[in-house]
Amino acid sequence: MADPTTSEFVTLVSCDGFEFIIPRSAACISGTIRRMLDPASKFSEALSGRCVLENLTGIVLEKVCEYFMYNEKHKDQANVPDMEIPAELCLELLMAADYLDT
Amino acid sequence: MDNEVPLPPPRRIRHRSPSRLSPAGSVASSFRKARQLSRFDDRSSQPSSDPALFSSDDIPASGLENYHAPVAGAGRKRRYRGTWWGEQVADPKRKRADFKEKRHVDSGVWMGSDESIAESSLPSEDASNWGEDLLKTVLDPKAPSKVANAPSLVKPSDMVSMPVQPRPVVLQGPAETEEHKYAKAVINECLEKGDDSVDLGNINMRVIPPGLLRPLQHLTKLPSLHEAPVSENAYFSLQPFLRIYLSNNSLTTLYTSEIFDLKDLKVLSLRNNKLTRIPEAIRKLTALQVLNVSMNRLDELPWDLLWLLQQGELKHFTAHPNPFPSIDESGPVEWHCQFDNANDEDKDGDSDEPEAPEVTPVPIFREYEGTPPDDAWTPIHVATGPVTRLDMEGRPLDLTPSFNTPSTSSQPASSAPSLREVSLRAISKLPGIDQLTDLELDEFPALVIPLISLARQARQEGAQHCSICQREFIVPRARWTEWWDCTPHENGMKRPRGSGEQLRPLPFKRVSCSWACVSGGQSVE
Repeated sequence: MADPTTSEFVTLVSCDGFEFIIPRSAACISGTIRRMLDPASKFSEALSGRCVLENLTGIVLEKVCEYFMYNEKHKDQANVPDMEIPAELCLELLMAADYLDT
Repeated sequence: MDNEVPLPPPRRIRHRSPSRLSPAGSVASSFRKARQLSRFDDRSSQPSSDPALFSSDDIPASGLENYHAPVAGAGRKRRYRGTWWGEQVADPKRKRADFKEKRHVDSGVWMGSDESIAESSLPSEDASNWGEDLLKTVLDPKAPSKVANAPSLVKPSDMVSMPVQPRPVVLQGPAETEEHKYAKAVINECLEKGDDSVDLGNINMRVIPPGLLRPLQHLTKLPSLHEAPVSENAYFSLQPFLRIYLSNNSLTTLYTSEIFDLKDLKVLSLRNNKLTRIPEAIRKLTALQVLNVSMNRLDELPWDLLWLLQQGELKHFTAHPNPFPSIDESGPVEWHCQFDNANDEDKDGDSDEPEAPEVTPVPIFREYEGTPPDDAWTPIHVATGPVTRLDMEGRPLDLTPSFNTPSTSSQPASSAPSLREVSLRAISKLPGIDQLTDLELDEFPALVIPLISLARQARQEGAQHCSICQREFIVPRARWTEWWDCTPHENGMKRPRGSGEQLRPLPFKRVSCSWACVSGGQSVE
């Protein structure tokens, strides 16, 4: 495998052990993850390309990753369609959004 | 059944009127009466419905193939009585008594006058009691009795407990103030008479209680039947021309009022109140023709109002007087119009190039000759204030307000909504979020309380619309003020702008849903 600091993909790990491998550019939409993965910071996450998000469950992180891809896809689009969020997840996602600064 | 309890038939007639008044045996005798009546019915009445009646189509003799065949009793359509499969009814006029056996089968329907119930609960000695009761009532009318139709006897005992009773009731429910009662009475009267002019002025109302205006959605005008001479005036539209006058009250807010749900509202007067802002939800009043917001505490108007002026029906808009700031007071602006000293512009619409006036600018309408051009009637964009960018929680960033410069922050301007925005949109659609009280709100984590209250507000007032892409959003990402001149609308579209007339712009607050909308959308305009 290539050097994890420059690899195109990063791994996000939820507190219950689910791993999501998504493009680095998508993950960097989140300010928190961007700072974690900043090669200049020398954080262990930046060196390994693997972020363990202790306070997100797998279900929430899955939706968060879906949002990252949604944002990546519609970044420059004029008429952005709405993203479906299940009602039971929206509060937890709001908390996650606060934590991830996105 | 008949032979189970022998009844004394002659008494029945005699008993009827006193038994209603007899206090002690009133229950029993009402049973008795019911029983007697039902018995009486049984004797005399027919089966309640007739046997089915069918046309004679099923009989071959009347078919199309022997149309010309002589039919017995020709000239009269033959009728067939019975079921469709040919079963004839032997005697259609059977007496009710013939169904007696059948009646014992439990039909599953219980009726109050059912004999079996009445008989089992009927005390047999009741018949002898009624006379004594009657006697007592006649001799001593003031004696406490359970007579239903003697209200003068019952009332005094209730009166004693009256002052005690209402106290806890008042504490339980929210007290309805006098002005709300009056307003409710006015609205009920309007609904009843079909009057589409609702005058709620001068009653010192502070808030519009929820549910007050909702019934007006269903207001129906009634045709007037009084005018005897039929003139041309007798014909008028029954489409309600709904007018609501809330002038001279003390309203500070229009939240939680359903006034913006009244889609047919044509005239709205909010003159002389204490409003500090007009909700964006005013956009929903697409039928609005006259709006008066003068003598309030407004320092800006929602962008949606300008949308109503441009796209909607709004023709007469009274905004002055209000404490609007003047353009010079509110800092630097980008001008979009001509000034007194710049006359050498071409005559094809207002110029987009900002002028740099040396003296205090006096914006004027361009000069024209002959008939007024179209844009002498429409609102004119005079100036644009600087854009304040807001972060993802709707707080102003520390950057100084800028004019159309590309964002200098590390974050690129993305037109996709933030995750906060996406989840807040989902939250604002949750059932019951608009009923969330402040106390319940405090139980949420402190970080998200301001966001959730934004979502609640969006649900209560209707979501805001991005003034560039028209999408609904919860958290605004940028805001700025634009100055537009609406002089023709202010005088009720009676007169266009004159040639070279001085413009008196009004501030309209614009908000947008993303930074990309600001940097992309503004240059397009």
